[in-house]
Amino acid sequence: MNVHVAPQSSTPFESGPAVVVSNLVRSYVSRVVIEKLNLRIDRGEFVALLGESGCGKTTLLRALAGLDPIQGGRIVAPRRPAVVFQEHRLLPWDNLWRNVALGLQVQDPRARAAEALTEVGLGDRLEDWPRNLSGGQAQRVALARALVQQPELLLLDEPFAALDALTRIRMHQLVRELVANHQPGVLLVTHDVDEAIALADRILVMRNGVIAFEHRAVRDGSTPISRAELLSELGVVPHSAS
Amino acid sequence: MSNIELSQVDRTAIGADNPPLSQRRPRSSATASKLGARGVQLLSWIAPVLLVIVWEALADAGWLSPQVLPAPSKVIRTAFKLATTGSLLNDLGVSLLRAAAGFAIGATVGAALGVLVGFSRIAEAAIDRSVQMIRAIPFLAALPLVIVWLGVGEAEKIFLVALGVTSPIYINTVLGIRQVDPKLLELGRVQGLSSLQLIRRIILPGALPSILTGVRYALATAWLALVVAETIGAQSGIGFLTMDAREFLRTDVIVLTIVIYALIGVAADAIARFLERRLLAWHPNYGAER
Repeated sequence: MNVHVAPQSSTPFESGPAVVVSNLVRSYVSRVVIEKLNLRIDRGEFVALLGESGCGKTTLLRALAGLDPIQGGRIVAPRRPAVVFQEHRLLPWDNLWRNVALGLQVQDPRARAAEALTEVGLGDRLEDWPRNLSGGQAQRVALARALVQQPELLLLDEPFAALDALTRIRMHQLVRELVANHQPGVLLVTHDVDEAIALADRILVMRNGVIAFEHRAVRDGSTPISRAELLSELGVVPHSAS
Repeated sequence: MSNIELSQVDRTAIGADNPPLSQRRPRSSATASKLGARGVQLLSWIAPVLLVIVWEALADAGWLSPQVLPAPSKVIRTAFKLATTGSLLNDLGVSLLRAAAGFAIGATVGAALGVLVGFSRIAEAAIDRSVQMIRAIPFLAALPLVIVWLGVGEAEKIFLVALGVTSPIYINTVLGIRQVDPKLLELGRVQGLSSLQLIRRIILPGALPSILTGVRYALATAWLALVVAETIGAQSGIGFLTMDAREFLRTDVIVLTIVIYALIGVAADAIARFLERRLLAWHPNYGAER
């Protein structure tokens, strides 16, 4: 694996980079998917990554997660990132707290898992099976499982894409709260322009294996980037009568 | 060899293609709900009980020769007599012990080979073809060779049972391991599990439904192998009892041994199902709470 994990002890609330990517190259047999990409995400920063299907955004996320080998460049992350996938990926044979505690190396994993489940509003379902959960609930457990690791980098791979609109909006609120409490750097890969506008401090648009557009949201009163502007960056030209 | 190309997500491995109706049938068909669970339970017993009553009546009326098929009451009396004065319980014990020993050995070998092949393509290349070939040999064809090797003692019988048990356990273990969801394995890596934790937390639980199907099928083949083994050169056991009874034309004893085989088969299946319910409580198709 080519992810360089620098040995370093750091408390979760420290500021500084959650991940620094320099000159990243990721290619399949004959096709270069990511071409010399640079990216830095700070702790506490929420970055949304937009792009057409096949532009390489999920490939980038998988590289950051250490799931795929990289062919060039460097990824420097102080700690192993946590990932929430589009599917909840809960182990059907483990109850909820065991799912959340998967891979957790602490004194009392059950108590820590219970804490995390309470945070996502499922503190009363510790012993329940995943199959008794709705899609939104399952995804909340997946969030708890990611956050219980106290990651400095949280990777979200279209985690709300399969949810209905109402549930998705509730999840947005929850994620915002969780991120505010835990202050990880977040990379959210999404198709949803509105989701990106609603959640992110910084919006990136990926095209042809590089980051082609970047917008830093200035909250507090300033006008946010318009939907149409982002959509045109994504190559969607709205119908106009003119 | 394609029967170990295991990528389809299909729980039905060998032996699972004929599940007992009572288990796999959807529970809430319209008529079933009218009868209620007890009613359905009762209904399932009507046919066998009726059959025994008709059989008894025919025998009592003298339409069935006792030489051909003795009355059920006669078989029960014989069972009682053999159990109290004869060697029935001893023979039963001997047979069960052989089956248990053979099963333990065969299951261990099958599971070990299955885990090895399940995890390693190299092990698969080295082992799988041979196991598949051995699997294709019928018990009766192997019997003479086994007797030449091991004589007609206990070893030969236990060996045959073990041989019959190994392959279903092996095949279903490999299948179970191979069809564990790769997305869950990926998750395990993301959560930082070690290889050992990956096996314990994800691969083995994921393979368990398939392995238990193998256990269930193996229990049936263990019995089958035992019958074959005990009908030749045995000095004790249920099979010996059958052969002995044939010599003396004791049809009642022959029928009794057949009934015993059937009962033990049913009991073995009940054990397998109990294991499934306990170990697969999380699984929507097996768990007790639906």
